[in-house]
Amino acid sequence: MKKWNKAMALALAAGMSLSLVACGGGTGSTPSSNPSQSGGNEGGGSTASEVEIKLWTYPIGSWGGSESKLDDIIASFNAVHPEIKVTYETLDYQNGDNQVTSAITSGGTPDIIMEGPERLVSNWGAAGKMVDLSDLWTEEATADISATSEAVVNACKGTDGKYYEYPLCMTTHCMAINYELFEQAGALQYLDLENRTWTTDNFVKAMETIRDSGLAPVPGIVYCGGTGGDQGTRALVNNLYSGTYTNADHTEYTANSPENVKALTLLKSMVDSQALNANASFVAADELQQFANGTAAVTFCWNASNESQYASQVQFTPYAMAFPSDDGVPELCGGIWGFGIFDNGDQAKIDAAKTFIQFVCDDKKQGPESVRLTGFFPVRSSFGNVYEGTDQAERMAGFQSMMPYLGDYYNVIGNWTAQRNNWFNMLTQILINGEDPQTAADAFVEASNP
Amino acid sequence: MAQKSAQRSAPARVKAEKRSEFSGMSRALVRRETISAYLFLLPSLIFFVGFVLVPMGICLVYSFLKMGIAGVDGFAGFDNYIRMFQDKVFIKGFWNTVLIVVVSVPAVTAFSLWVGSAIYPMRAGLRSFFRCVFYMPVVTGTVAVTVVWKWMFSPYNGLINQITGNIGFDWLGNSKTAIWCIILILFTTTIGQPIVLYVAALGNVDQSLVEAAQVDGATKLQVFWKIKWPQIMPTTLYVLVITTINSFQCFALIQLLTRGGPNYATSTIMYYIFDMAYNYQDFGYANAMGVVLAIVIAIFSALQFKLAKTDD
Repeated sequence: MKKWNKAMALALAAGMSLSLVACGGGTGSTPSSNPSQSGGNEGGGSTASEVEIKLWTYPIGSWGGSESKLDDIIASFNAVHPEIKVTYETLDYQNGDNQVTSAITSGGTPDIIMEGPERLVSNWGAAGKMVDLSDLWTEEATADISATSEAVVNACKGTDGKYYEYPLCMTTHCMAINYELFEQAGALQYLDLENRTWTTDNFVKAMETIRDSGLAPVPGIVYCGGTGGDQGTRALVNNLYSGTYTNADHTEYTANSPENVKALTLLKSMVDSQALNANASFVAADELQQFANGTAAVTFCWNASNESQYASQVQFTPYAMAFPSDDGVPELCGGIWGFGIFDNGDQAKIDAAKTFIQFVCDDKKQGPESVRLTGFFPVRSSFGNVYEGTDQAERMAGFQSMMPYLGDYYNVIGNWTAQRNNWFNMLTQILINGEDPQTAADAFVEASNP
Repeated sequence: MAQKSAQRSAPARVKAEKRSEFSGMSRALVRRETISAYLFLLPSLIFFVGFVLVPMGICLVYSFLKMGIAGVDGFAGFDNYIRMFQDKVFIKGFWNTVLIVVVSVPAVTAFSLWVGSAIYPMRAGLRSFFRCVFYMPVVTGTVAVTVVWKWMFSPYNGLINQITGNIGFDWLGNSKTAIWCIILILFTTTIGQPIVLYVAALGNVDQSLVEAAQVDGATKLQVFWKIKWPQIMPTTLYVLVITTINSFQCFALIQLLTRGGPNYATSTIMYYIFDMAYNYQDFGYANAMGVVLAIVIAIFSALQFKLAKTDD
């Protein structure tokens, strides 16, 4: 009996541990358990052929999140298609991927999801979980999007030639400075304010000027934690000496190239001289918060959406700038957002989802409005300047002026998730632990290459 | 000798009494009572089977498969297990986990026993106050607690650096200090329950034995060690086992504060399981690590049972 009691106690202890693992670590919430809001065909009435589809979206401008305008879009859609009921849920960038992974493994995926090609195409599409959207890519649509950027068309296409994403909007990720602080410190002289560019040498001088002025507790923070916002630090490293992140075919990482190693060495020397700080516990959001607080004079993780998000917190003018480059011609990382459809095996839902996507992205009236709600720029050239004549026109013009600096969209390379972790670990090793940049960059490439 | 004989016969006497008690009941009544008992057990049994035993089985099966987000990609045999012992990150996580357990379990147990002993003799109001204070982090919720700690550890605006004048030092971003910060936070969020348990256990100590020992001239230490300690041993064992399991499964703090960084300095087995399953979508490997973690926890629990020398 005593042995039996002991055995039972041990089995329970082991069971508690194992069940937690099998149930996904105990914290993986099921997506359906936390629907944020829903909208739908309240006035449209129910019809015999009514189809209900579910949309999940990451917070992209006013698509989802606390300021969501999705109800308005759904209402407009239902005015035309009352037979399709759309419900939605907002994911967040902290746990959203985990929610989707849980949904895929448990068979509870939504019908539509809004995000970028690195997830829709390279991850879920490559795993065979998404519907081929080639029929949405009509000749007209392809030509219209290609006219903006051929890279967008390629990014939405998987290695098998199928399209797993239909894009709505895009932007270039940039950095920003605290304008008044730069002005007060006398560092504006190092910036080409008109073109929003600066050279590597001038970047170093500007950060040293900020440091010496003592006006900000820290000139800038290279965040080395988390997995998101990595585009900022990637773009910083790649631009300093015109390095690339991957080869042209997007089959190998090239972060250990001489240009990138030179850039990493420069950043290390700036950290050592306190012209920059490096924090391993900081994720991009922490760095943004320090910038918004006025603690840091620059942020490396900026775009139009972040500007809107922090608008109520900043007491200064955040001036968007391209990343510094040795030749003064930056290549910025792009962001593309659009829709994918999970293959749930229900053709009626797939068709309804396609109808919704076409309405949101292609409709002459709704399309530009959908783009405006994201706070980014249209992938369709025919939409023109969607902010013209709006109260956002002036603000968005600054970001629009950096669109020509859009560089290669390499995010479709394999091992994308793994490389994010490896990238931040590499930065930590170099900037904080003092490891040789070449050694650390070689280790990154070896660990990340598909 | 006669006394021992009497002790030995006591259980036999109880059994005999029970037999006579049941013999007075009809067979139908016994069956009905048995069925009722099982019916009462049924909800927990369903829960236990559905959410503990079945996932255990699934976890074990998956651990022998190559499995990603696209589904099963073949039989892996023991590959996932072999890989684990060649994986530097897993080994690092294993030692971090052991460090957390080895430091936090004795610290939590000893500290909560000390606090429990200190507040037990206090007036009821004061005792409740201290119980509430120490229990507060337990009911506050991990997210809220970590937000506050994150702010306190912030390199630029954090309370700790403001007080120490160490502006810029990144407590959670330094590979030497980060794990100790995690242990400290884990400590503060774990001690509440053991303190409450110890206060309750000390209240159940037989006062007549304490008074008898005092009359016989026993010192306070002797009273505690010879009279109270044996009587609170079941509570101590429970605290040890639960704290050990909690420490092994330390996950939320790490996910919210450091995500295993910097450079895996705070990665634990539990976090690495999550990382592999959800970020790398390598489910087979994650499940294999889960099995190993379960075995390690079982071994630690067995050791604790053994060392505590109890049969309860």
